[in-house]
Amino acid sequence: MTGATGTAGVLAHGIGGRSDLPIPLFYAYAGAFAALVVSFLALGLLWADSRFHGDRAGRVLPLRPPARPSRVLTLLAVAYTLGWVVAGPADGNAGPYLVYVLFWVGLVPASLLFGPVWRVLNPFRLLPDRPRAPLPPRLGYWPAAVGLLAFTWMELVAPEPAAPATLLVFCGLYGTAQLAGTLVYGHAWLSRGDPFEVYSTLIGHLSPLGRRPDGKPVLRNPFDGLDALEPAPGLVATVCVLLGGTGYDGFSSSPAWLNVLQSGSLGKAGLGTLGLLGAIAGVAVLYGACLGLAGLIGGTRGLAPRFAHSLVPIAIGYLIAHYFSLLVIEGQRAIILSLGLDASVDQNVVSPATIATVQVLAIVIGHVVGVVAAHDRSVRLLRPDRAVAGQIPLFVLMICYTIGGLTLLFA
Amino acid sequence: MSARVSARVRRVVVVVAWASVGALVCTVVAGCGPLSQTHHNPGNSHEVSTGRPSARPNAEITIAGGKVSPPSGWLEVTKGRPVSITVTSDVADEVHVHGYDLKAELRPGEPVTLRFTADLTGVFQVETHRSKLVLTQVAVR
Repeated sequence: MTGATGTAGVLAHGIGGRSDLPIPLFYAYAGAFAALVVSFLALGLLWADSRFHGDRAGRVLPLRPPARPSRVLTLLAVAYTLGWVVAGPADGNAGPYLVYVLFWVGLVPASLLFGPVWRVLNPFRLLPDRPRAPLPPRLGYWPAAVGLLAFTWMELVAPEPAAPATLLVFCGLYGTAQLAGTLVYGHAWLSRGDPFEVYSTLIGHLSPLGRRPDGKPVLRNPFDGLDALEPAPGLVATVCVLLGGTGYDGFSSSPAWLNVLQSGSLGKAGLGTLGLLGAIAGVAVLYGACLGLAGLIGGTRGLAPRFAHSLVPIAIGYLIAHYFSLLVIEGQRAIILSLGLDASVDQNVVSPATIATVQVLAIVIGHVVGVVAAHDRSVRLLRPDRAVAGQIPLFVLMICYTIGGLTLLFA
Repeated sequence: MSARVSARVRRVVVVVAWASVGALVCTVVAGCGPLSQTHHNPGNSHEVSTGRPSARPNAEITIAGGKVSPPSGWLEVTKGRPVSITVTSDVADEVHVHGYDLKAELRPGEPVTLRFTADLTGVFQVETHRSKLVLTQVAVR
C-alpha cells in the first residue's frame, strides 16, 4: 500500500529524509559578527552618492542564445519528466528528483551564473506572442507570488510532496494558468506571471550576465544588475514568499515543530499551512515596519517597493544555505535514476564542515550584498542630510533576517 | 563647513550607537545558545542525552493511538557507531530510516529493532509510512 510513493510524510525539501546537521556555534557567531561589522562599516564608510546604474551599465555582448532549439529541448525534458511521474516505478522514480532537485534547486546556480535562463528555456515561449489584451500593470508580480507560494506549499506542506498525483495536479494547474495567461496577454504574461521564470529572473539579476529590457545580453557588475530590478506590484510579496518559505523549510523539521504537527488537532497539512503562511507574513510585516520607519526618518514616502531588490540577495543566500547539500547529494540520485546509470549515490561527498561553511558564507554574503544595494538606493532616494539615519531601520531589518537565518541553521 | 563637520560627527555617533546595539544582539544570541540543545533532545532516552561517550545510541519508541512516545526528538550519534532503534506500534505499519534506506514491517504490539552502523553524516528521519509519523531523527556527526 505504500506503493504510491517511495518517499512520504513531512520531508525536508519535498524529497529525501536527510537534512543538514546544525552548524557549529562558532560558525553562527562568526557569521553574525561578520554581518554586523560589515553593516556598520557600510553605514559609516560607503559612498555618499549613488554609484549603480541599473540597465544603463554593462557591455553589450554580441550573443544570441539559440532560444527556439533550447525551448524545444526543454519541452522534451518536461515530457521525459512527466513520463517518469506518470509511468515510472513506485520505488526509485526519477520524476520527483527531476522536479525538486534538478529543476527547482538547479535553477538557483544556473541563474546565478548565466542570468535569467528560464526565459531562454521556457517552453511556453514557443506559443505565439499574440496578446488579446495588454497585461494590467496592477497585476505585477502577484501571479508569480501566488505560483511560488503554491509550489512551496506542495514542497513543504503537502501530505505527499513526491507522489505522482500531487505533482500531476500541480503541473496541471500550472500549465493551465500559463497557457491561459499567454493566450490572453502574450509573452508579457510569462515574464511576470510564470513563477519559475520570475524566480530565475530575480536570481539572474545577481548574475554578471544580464538582459536589458530590449533583450540585449550584457556583461555587467552584479550590483548594477540588482539595481536594474524595477519595482512593481507584488515584487515585495514574491521576495517574501521566497524568504519566508525557505525560513519555514529551516524550522519545519525541528523536533519541536514536528511534535506540534504530529499532536495538533488541525492535522499536519492544516498546521503546516498556517506555519508557512505565518513565516511569510512575519517576513513581510518586518519588512513593512522597517521600511515605514526608514521612510519616516528619511523624509520619503512609498519606499517599500523600491527596496525589494535588496532582499533578493538575502533570499538567494537562504536558498543556497538550505539547498546546497540537497543539490550535491540528491542531484546525484536525480542523474543516476533518470539515466538509469549503474552507480550509487555518495552521501558523504561533502563533509558537515564544508556544508556549514557554505551555509554561513551564503547567508553572510547575501547580507553584505543586500546592505550595499540598500545603501546605494538610500543615498539616491532619501534626503541627503537624513540618508545615514534613514538607513538604520533597513540595516536592522537585514540583521534580523541574517541572524534569523543563522539561527535556523544552528537550531 | 561646520555643517559638514556636524554631519560627520553625527555619522560617527550613529555608527557607535548601532555598534553597541549590535554587541547587545550578539550577547542575546549567545545567551540563547544552550536553549537549542534542550530543544533538540526532548525525545531521547536518558542515557543518550546525558551522552556517556561509550554509550550505545539506542532509542525505544512506542506508537499508540497515533501518538509517538517519547515525543519525536533527536538521537545524537557519532559517525561509525552502531545504532539500534526499537519500535513498537499498536497498528500494522512500516518503519523507514531515510538516507540509510532501511525498512521493517511493524506488526501490532510486536517490538521491531532496526540495527545499523551510522556511516552517513547528516540528520535522518525515522518515519512510519502508513501513519506518516516522524518517530525520531538520527543526527550523525
